[in-house]
Amino acid sequence: MKKMNSEKRFKILCLILLSLFAVFCIAPFILMISASVTDENALYTYGYRFIPSKVSGAAYKFMWAKRETIGRAYLVTIGITAVGTVINVIITSMFAYPLSRKDFKPRNIFAFFIFFTMLFNGGMTASYIIWTQTFHIKNTLWALLLPNYLMSGMNVLLVRNYYMGSIPVDILEAARIDGATEMRIYWQVMLPLSKPVIITVALFSGMAYWNDWMNAMYYISNQKLVNINAYLNNLQNNIKLLTMQSSMTEGINLKGLQLPTIGARMAIAVIAVLPILIVFPFVQAQLIKGVVIGGVKG
Amino acid sequence: MPEKAAKKRSKRVNYVPLFLMMLPGVAYMIVNNYLPMFGITIAFKNLDYTKGILRSDWVGFKNFEFLFRTNDFAIMMRNTLLYNIVFIFGGLLASLAIAVMMTEIGQWKVAKVIQPIICFPNMVSIIIVAYLVYGFFGGDGWINNTLLHGNGISWYSEPKYWPFILTMVHFWKGAGYGSIIYIATMSGIDKGLYEAARLDGASKWQQITKITIPIIRPMIILMTLMAVGRIFNSDFGLFLQVPMDSGALYSVTQTIDTYVYRALMKLNDVSMSSAASVFQAIAGFVLVLASNLMVRKLDPDSSLF
Repeated sequence: MKKMNSEKRFKILCLILLSLFAVFCIAPFILMISASVTDENALYTYGYRFIPSKVSGAAYKFMWAKRETIGRAYLVTIGITAVGTVINVIITSMFAYPLSRKDFKPRNIFAFFIFFTMLFNGGMTASYIIWTQTFHIKNTLWALLLPNYLMSGMNVLLVRNYYMGSIPVDILEAARIDGATEMRIYWQVMLPLSKPVIITVALFSGMAYWNDWMNAMYYISNQKLVNINAYLNNLQNNIKLLTMQSSMTEGINLKGLQLPTIGARMAIAVIAVLPILIVFPFVQAQLIKGVVIGGVKG
Repeated sequence: MPEKAAKKRSKRVNYVPLFLMMLPGVAYMIVNNYLPMFGITIAFKNLDYTKGILRSDWVGFKNFEFLFRTNDFAIMMRNTLLYNIVFIFGGLLASLAIAVMMTEIGQWKVAKVIQPIICFPNMVSIIIVAYLVYGFFGGDGWINNTLLHGNGISWYSEPKYWPFILTMVHFWKGAGYGSIIYIATMSGIDKGLYEAARLDGASKWQQITKITIPIIRPMIILMTLMAVGRIFNSDFGLFLQVPMDSGALYSVTQTIDTYVYRALMKLNDVSMSSAASVFQAIAGFVLVLASNLMVRKLDPDSSLF
């Protein structure tokens, strides 16, 4: 009986520690949301508080006034994420299909071709020079779509392993005897049967595009083409530059120049996180499963 | 007989459609991954945009010699390696501790709520994280105002705090996410083992160190070796965005990745940037090969090759 109690005590201790860690994990987000609805003067006087000292919707009103630029950044993000994820899933799963076929003799050459990209890369500078000097993607929407995220070697191998491990060869054999073309087998047999791994690839790809700021930072200087994260990044940089150049206090300086206040910046950050916050509870189980499948090889 | 004929037909595969299906992926890999590998030659050249990459003059190892002699190089190497060592071993401890505790409360419903919450910080971009950190450490942030009552520290110009802040941010962001793989491994352990240990009077700590850790050891070794293989790579966003690219903090925030970026985009120094980036790529390649050779020795099924 005493043993059971100590077991139970340990479990409760674990629960308390984990709950504390969970609070630690979400506290910054609560602070951000609170700051976005706090009155600007109260923010300058009292700083950020978990519970707003004086509630105000000014930050969101400011954002509404700037809806054209922020809205555009948002649209760019949504568009690139959607297009990038669809292309990623298609070319990844299509590439993986021949690699999974034991009767496709050159498959080892192509598997190595994929695999080598996981071991070695040319480095950021070489990528940058190639993309800008050879393909001239600077300041085009291609810059947000093409570099880095369109297909990854790891995902190709992940999907191939799933095809080989979870789809019975008999089904393929039957389809082939029925005279189905390779494209048809891929589209009507492989894809529907490999839903779990396809969803995993789509989730990872979607997150990479939605959270991307690096491509924009390297390749985009035209403010009309930035995505939401790059927009936030540029905002921060501009404000830093101005406050550095100015000897005036931050508040006056920012107001004089019609730059977004701290509250407004936090409001934009909230808007950027919101979709993730909404989608995450529904996909988290799948995402966690995906990490487990891909974790080892990743 | 028809059966044999069918078998024969299925063996004669027409490769053409299969090649066509791989075409988009192959094209992308060539452009995105293989061309930059040849772009490595830039580090051995004096790149002149008017002449183009191919016609620029060769300078041998001059760029590297110059880079290795700079003070920047020593600083970025020190930072990259030290942070990574702390992140790898601290991260391992944190993730293991979380995994043990999560497994412990695994049958309670609340675990299904806690796990997504502690994984969530990893889902947002580092730009957002930088804003969150600013909310705490900014001039009029929560720490200065609420904790220190206005006797604030100007955090963004004091290098000495940043090794701690960056480490904390790293664990805040990654520890929960990093525990997923260990939780999955632990869930495969036979419960009977713990039952037996309990009957023999083993304490909780003994159960963890004598049962859990030995069983998941291959996974621990594997994950650690993989991380060691990436030791020359740093979390670019963490070191660039979270300190708000503050010049006063470079001594503790400059890593190879931030240097490559700054030399290329801020200083327009392609030779230094490419030398650092090629150094990183080649050193990383050697380490990935070495760590995989070790993984193969320890656990052939888990190695990449």
